Amino acid sequence: RRELPDGGARPNAAQFKQLVVTALRDLHGEVGAALPVDVLTYEEKTLSAILRVISSGLVKLWSALTLLGFYQNRRCAFRVLQTSPFLLALSGNSRELVLD
Amino acid sequence: LPALSRRYVLCEVVSEDPRCRQCIEDRALGLAVKDAIARVHGDYGLACCSISFAVKYLNAYTGTVLLRCRKDSYRLLCSALPFVRYLESRAQRYPCFLNTLHVGGTIRTCQKFLIQYNRTQLLRLLQNCTNEEERQCVQKSLLSCSLTEEQAQSEDEEEDDGTE
Repeated sequence: RRELPDGGARPNAAQFKQLVVTALRDLHGEVGAALPVDVLTYEEKTLSAILRVISSGLVKLWSALTLLGFYQNRRCAFRVLQTSPFLLALSGNSRELVLD
Repeated sequence: LPALSRRYVLCEVVSEDPRCRQCIEDRALGLAVKDAIARVHGDYGLACCSISFAVKYLNAYTGTVLLRCRKDSYRLLCSALPFVRYLESRAQRYPCFLNTLHVGGTIRTCQKFLIQYNRTQLLRLLQNCTNEEERQCVQKSLLSCSLTEEQAQSEDEEEDDGTE
């Protein structure tokens, strides 16, 4: 999942995908932009999404999203909450568990 | 201590426009290649290949170019070379393309290859000669370069290029 804190208008799903592809193109060029990335889910309210990418492309995708700083001239940041090869593992986040 | 390995990529500039030969110079060519790398591989690719990037040798008559880069990033460089479509100099663009001839670890191996390649190219030129005068010129060049091989075992610094 990625979380994108923002101030003004929120991107919809298509704009979010465009943002991801633009980030890849900036850092890794046309080769990066051609990397097949799927947006599996996207919540406009929380601005979080689940992205799917081939495992050999994880480094490129993660580095491109880390270095993306601007969306429509506003500062923004991507925060990776969880990565896993299995979709089911994303339903529970062990980082959010609290010690009683 | 990890050794600083480099790769030397030998390529030739092919263009239909004869004026393109004038702008085969190290700065214009270096910029064109770096621009292509930036387009294809982005900021990361450009930075990776620029670490030890240099244009080591140029021959405007034959269009031969020798590029140097790090061993870790020569694949990025070689995959971006087909995307060089024009050379720019003095605000003029000349369409061209780059043919990769050889990738070697040292300048010496590339030089050996280039000598061999130029010999075969001269032979090919001889076959394609249209008039007698050209034929005489090319034959003279061929004979002089093969004689030099028998005289001296060490490699020549100059290769005999067929006159255009």
